[in-house]
Amino acid sequence: MKKLLLVEDNEMNRDMLSRRLARRGYEILVATDGSEGLAEATRHLPDLIIMDMSLPVLDGWESTRALKEQPATRSIPVLALTAHAMAGERERALEAGCNDYDTKPVDFTRLLGKIETLLSGSSA
Amino acid sequence: MSPASIPDIADKPTETTYQSIVEHAIEGIFQTTPDGRYLLANPALAEIYGYESVEELKGGVKEIARQLYVDPARREEFIRLMNQQDAVWGFESPIYRKDGSVIWISENVRVIRAGDQSVRYYEGTVEDITERKRVEEELRRAKTAAEEASRSKSQFLANMSHELRTPLNAIIGYSELMREEAEDLDQQSFVRDLKKIESAGKHLLELINGVLDIAKIEAGKMETHAETFDVEAMLNDVAATIAPVVEKNGNRFEIVAEPALGSMHTDLTKVRQSLFNLLGNAGKFTENGVIRLEAHRVSQNGSEFILFQVSDTGVGMSPEQCAKIFEAFTQADASTTRKFGGTGLGLAITREFSRIVGGDITVTSELGKGSTFSMRAPVTLPGTATAEPAEVRFADDPQSELSGDRPLVLLIDDDLTVHDLVRRFLHKEGFRTVCAPSGQEGLELAKTLQPSVIVLDVMMPTMDGWSVLTRVKGDPALANIPVVMLTMVDNKEMGFSLGVDDYMLKPIERGSFVSTLRKYGSPNASTSVLVLEDDATTRELLRTSLEKDGISVVEATNGAEGLRKLATIRPALILLDLMMPEMDGFQFTREVRSRPEWRDIPIIVMTAKDIAADDRTRLDGHVSRILQKGACGREELLAEISSRIARATRPTRAETELQPALAS
Repeated sequence: MKKLLLVEDNEMNRDMLSRRLARRGYEILVATDGSEGLAEATRHLPDLIIMDMSLPVLDGWESTRALKEQPATRSIPVLALTAHAMAGERERALEAGCNDYDTKPVDFTRLLGKIETLLSGSSA
Repeated sequence: MSPASIPDIADKPTETTYQSIVEHAIEGIFQTTPDGRYLLANPALAEIYGYESVEELKGGVKEIARQLYVDPARREEFIRLMNQQDAVWGFESPIYRKDGSVIWISENVRVIRAGDQSVRYYEGTVEDITERKRVEEELRRAKTAAEEASRSKSQFLANMSHELRTPLNAIIGYSELMREEAEDLDQQSFVRDLKKIESAGKHLLELINGVLDIAKIEAGKMETHAETFDVEAMLNDVAATIAPVVEKNGNRFEIVAEPALGSMHTDLTKVRQSLFNLLGNAGKFTENGVIRLEAHRVSQNGSEFILFQVSDTGVGMSPEQCAKIFEAFTQADASTTRKFGGTGLGLAITREFSRIVGGDITVTSELGKGSTFSMRAPVTLPGTATAEPAEVRFADDPQSELSGDRPLVLLIDDDLTVHDLVRRFLHKEGFRTVCAPSGQEGLELAKTLQPSVIVLDVMMPTMDGWSVLTRVKGDPALANIPVVMLTMVDNKEMGFSLGVDDYMLKPIERGSFVSTLRKYGSPNASTSVLVLEDDATTRELLRTSLEKDGISVVEATNGAEGLRKLATIRPALILLDLMMPEMDGFQFTREVRSRPEWRDIPIIVMTAKDIAADDRTRLDGHVSRILQKGACGREELLAEISSRIARATRPTRAETELQPALAS
């Protein structure tokens, strides 16, 4: 079973996304801020991290940068989620080291597609 | 006045008549010398300038340029114009009255020359136009305020839409989740109701997205991202996605793509979204008909366009309906929404999108017969051909901007996107930038940081740029810091009269902005390195390593750019890649060595190339060292650079002898 770490501070979004992903057969770990996300990622080494960008304590950009600097977590793909559907957000996320990017509100089908692509890419 | 007296005066005006005209004129009349003294002045002029009498004016003002003009450069400008055209009309300037108050005057003046063409004096009239200027300024402010209010409204809408999306996200997500679970449990009645919640939620989301787009467009926040794509592939992709919607009402979908459509370099998302909107509409308003998507490549006034046409055989529109179809929240009539649904924003957004990519959209339609929408988009997004590639990296650590010996620029601007933009490119040019979002914060920072230069916006809430400027120039602790205005407000006169050092208009033109700032703060020459390297990663790596050692870096991506940078800053050392586009390292070296003032700047060549013997000969004697990339470690390179810089700051005879003059 593939293990996904969902880092999201909004309780409803976290609950909803984790339940929907679990229904699709993924094992889900959750973290509520960037620093917790970093700790969870280091401890459990998930197959993929879904990272909200606007997070308390340590934001998504900083967390991703930190993940990409640690040898142990460097190769874990990070999928950025941001509520700002503004131009330039994609570049900012990719610049921080995220492997892909999606906007909120989540289009679940599209998100699943991106998750599958990243997972197959990392196992290849 | 008796009728008889008029011809008398006209026939033979006497000295007394002239004197009377001068004495009683409403306008100020004067004669002045080129060095700025009064030969003649009338009582009206004395009164305009706030003096008791003509004698007091003539005795008190000995240097017009400095005593009268708020901006002494106005007098120079006046003299320049006089030399050019012998006369000026409506020459407007702010001037100081005797009591120090400032008024605006307008002058009409001509030059009186001696036999040898030298200037004897200037003579002319002065009118007090302060009141007119005040009214103009009020109008301008009212206009600015109105525009500002409109922008704030759009900004509010954009923020509001964003806030609305978050809870809506939960509503849609949970209804989808519950529907899936109800399906698993085979609870059909729940499934139906949950689908209704989901679909209503999605419709609401669509409306909010539309409002967000419109608000972003109106707030001027809609950005473009040009990419190159094949037009036919894009059309096929759009058609495949939208086909189920278009064919829903029993419609036939036809695609007619001209064979040689070629590629476009423009904002793909906006073109695609526009076609989706047009095709979706056509499908919605047509039953058992034909919907056709056509594309042609056309030339017009020397520019290439793609003409997209979406036609249908649906309900059509009357001329009255066509006239307002592109307005936001306007469908052909109010009942349309009830019957066909939709947000009423699709076509307004489509038109905005087509304009954003430099094109436009038109419609022809007949009631009961159908409609044809024609959208024209330039093959190349305007402004992208010369645009520099987006540079995304900049100083990650704001603290690093507070220390170091690179010149410090303080930017005061309420627009945060300007902060980001300016900080990024000034960093690349060897400056440190600290940004303040308001006048108050800017003044505080200016006091504590004492920047090399202040860059100031005009239109800011609570304290505008003019007030900030007045306080900077009025505070002895700050008055010496140069101020450069960077604004959309074209009012140089106001700026210069208040003491700004330079005035630049937005949008920012990078080259002139940077060279202006260089006037007020050059990166410390003794510790700066000019890096010429076309590979962004290598450049970035070098910058990071060198900056850790306290060396500031100025970058260029090819030889030609390197020469331009040399014209504005003299580095202690040049790090040179050989293989670069436009002007390679060999030619660059030749150009640098041919200029006496640059001849002694040490050049270190870094090359990935295993350098050939004759190439080495071409460089011998002109460069200090040739290092092979990869073969030489980073430490070694840094040590080499540091020692070169140390030597460059205390040049010795031996060092300069290593750099012989260029033979050819």
